[in-house]
Amino acid sequence: MLVLNDVHKTYQMGETQVLALRGVSLELPPAQLSVIMGHSGSGKSTLMHLAGCLDVPTSGSVEYGGLDLTTLSSRERADFRSSEVGFVFQKYNLVGNLTALENVALPLLLRNATTKQAHARAREALDLVGLQDRTTHRPAKLSGGEQQRVAIARALVNDPTMILADEPTGNLDTVTGDRILELLSQFRADDKIVLVVTHNPEIAETADLVVYLRDGRVESQQFQEVAR
Amino acid sequence: MKLNLFRLALKNIRSRRTRSWLTILGVLVGVTAVVALLSIGTGVQEAVLQQFEDIGYDIILISPMHAGGTAPGAMGGFMPGSTADGRFGGQMPTQPDFNSSSPGTFSPENLGGSSSEDETGDGQFDQMREALARTASSSLDTELLLTQVPQLIEAGTLGTQIQPVDTGTTSGFLRVSTPSLDFLEAFPSVLGGFEIASGSFFTNTTENQVIVGVRSAELLRMSVGDSISINNIPFTVIGILEASDQSSDEDEGSDSVLSGQGLAQNLGSGNSADLLLRGLTNTDDSLFVLHERASNVLAGRTMSAVTITRVESGASISETKDAINVAIGQQDATGTPISIQEVADEIQGTLSLIETVLASIAAVALIVGGVGLMNTMYTSVLERTREIGILKSVGARDGQVMTLFLIDSGLMGLIGGVLGLILGSILSLLGTRLLGPSLGVGSFSPIIDAWLVGGVLVFSFVLGALSGVWPAWRASRLNPVDALAAE
Ligand SMILES: Nc1ncnc2c1ncn2[C@@H]1O[C@H](COP(=O)(O)OP(=O)(O)OP(=O)(O)O)[C@@H](O)[C@H]1O
Ligand SMILES: [Mg+2]
Repeated sequence: MLVLNDVHKTYQMGETQVLALRGVSLELPPAQLSVIMGHSGSGKSTLMHLAGCLDVPTSGSVEYGGLDLTTLSSRERADFRSSEVGFVFQKYNLVGNLTALENVALPLLLRNATTKQAHARAREALDLVGLQDRTTHRPAKLSGGEQQRVAIARALVNDPTMILADEPTGNLDTVTGDRILELLSQFRADDKIVLVVTHNPEIAETADLVVYLRDGRVESQQFQEVAR
Repeated sequence: MKLNLFRLALKNIRSRRTRSWLTILGVLVGVTAVVALLSIGTGVQEAVLQQFEDIGYDIILISPMHAGGTAPGAMGGFMPGSTADGRFGGQMPTQPDFNSSSPGTFSPENLGGSSSEDETGDGQFDQMREALARTASSSLDTELLLTQVPQLIEAGTLGTQIQPVDTGTTSGFLRVSTPSLDFLEAFPSVLGGFEIASGSFFTNTTENQVIVGVRSAELLRMSVGDSISINNIPFTVIGILEASDQSSDEDEGSDSVLSGQGLAQNLGSGNSADLLLRGLTNTDDSLFVLHERASNVLAGRTMSAVTITRVESGASISETKDAINVAIGQQDATGTPISIQEVADEIQGTLSLIETVLASIAAVALIVGGVGLMNTMYTSVLERTREIGILKSVGARDGQVMTLFLIDSGLMGLIGGVLGLILGSILSLLGTRLLGPSLGVGSFSPIIDAWLVGGVLVFSFVLGALSGVWPAWRASRLNPVDALAAE
């Protein structure tokens, strides 16, 4: 369970302060697909970064399994991301001079895996997203949907307990986007926390929880009973 | 894990080929300069030291400079222009006078030849000494000197001249060395042992006898018994010297001796230290006429004549020098004693100075290379900001990001170092070929030892890594969210 408690995030922009989040409280249980919706600038990405321990809140706490993430050191946060979090971004964020396989293996290589182990695991992950025959391609040689699937494979490869996807379909056509969202929603079956930012109302219908953000606050939360 | 980072860094270097090579080139230039200059520098120093060792530190030279003249310290005459053009013998003596030479030319000196008979000595030298016409009034009487300065055990005179030489078929200018008999007796090693290959040693001082270096003999196609005119005076070749072992790899020999280059080369030997150094390596190109004879028939052309003395072992060099000065005054001659140690120190000092200056220039080149590397790494951090964000989002620690960039810059430094080491070694080998002859230190080789190799490799890696520290630190401290937002 990931718990956000009265989380505030303020960005300093020269003289002015931008209040990106102003008191967000949420509980995100495992084995559920949670969807965050809201207008541009409502604070969705900011929320994702805090949930994934990529950034720290200005005030409030983010707890995971009883551990207050805001108290962690920079190194501990890196280790937390490495073991617990898989990120998927709108812009794919693959490393351009590495092949698909190497990109997926990267999180493992940053820990103690040997190249052999890492590549074997990466191959499995690419299998899972249906890209077993694209392992030696560099990102530039892959379509947007394929790149996003590589990114998903990379998010999965460490077997994290939460998958965070920030508008993963933003750069994709609807059909491809639907496939990606379908793929992501499968991961709740693995007891993972799956948190997706999307503007797609159809996927929202299949989610266990839909959170609407507005001006840095939770406007509404909607729990749904969904058939699996 | 470090190995994985290493591979990642290597991949990055390879995927940014142009950038990497340009950066490596910057380091390479600096390292090349350092390696070439240091190896040549130490090579020259060793060669020079070796030559002085060969001569021996118990030697005092008496150069024909006026004692109270331009340089009371009297080193002035020894290394004219040496720093200005990097040669030991940069000062060009005046050209030999072509017209005044005729068989009957006698200089004023040898007309007033005094004859102080001397019964000491032994063997062939003894007999010949008796027949000796005493030489010029202003030059030093070496036998008298030996009695005046008891610390001296041996003394002899070696002069050098540039003379027009004609065999009837070939003609040109050659160096004529004029060792005195006692010089040949006491210091044959200065002339490479002065071993006769064919013919004989000088038999008297009354005939015009010449002993020819092996290369000159080849060049002039002369054999024992042939006639040759030196400065239009007929001489007979009485002997041909053994080839010296050192001259074989000096390729400016045969064909250039008669050319202008050869002449300039020969003219360059206008000072006694240089003469001495050349004497060690260049006997092959020389003709040899006894000083006692030359001062009669070839006089007036002696560009420099140096008296060499050997000090009794255990005697103080500086006290001996003082005694020599007194003796010179008593003989009413001119000359300044200089110990080999002083010559060596002077040349060493100059070499060290040159080396320091060159090393400083090389160091600047190296620093420029380092700054270039720093610039590349700094740009690289800016370019790769997003990649840093990606790495951090998938779990890279600050330290790992830092290490990655340090390996990147360190590797480029190391590659530059390796290539610079290779290129510098090649350059120094080429450089010694080209510089060796003109430096007048004979043959020498650059010294590239394990210390230089190890030092350069470690240094270039550290230089690379150090240049990368600041950029890498900046990279590691980037906020992952901000980094991901970068374009
Ligand atoms: N690094 C930053 N510095 C300053 N202001 C920021 C920064 N990041 C976000 N903001 C501001 O915080 C607010 C929330 O931004 P955020 O990116 O979370 O919105 P979003 O809901 O993800 O919008 P979008 O749908 O356009 O992605 C915005 O007003 C944005 O301008
Ligand atoms: Mg956003």
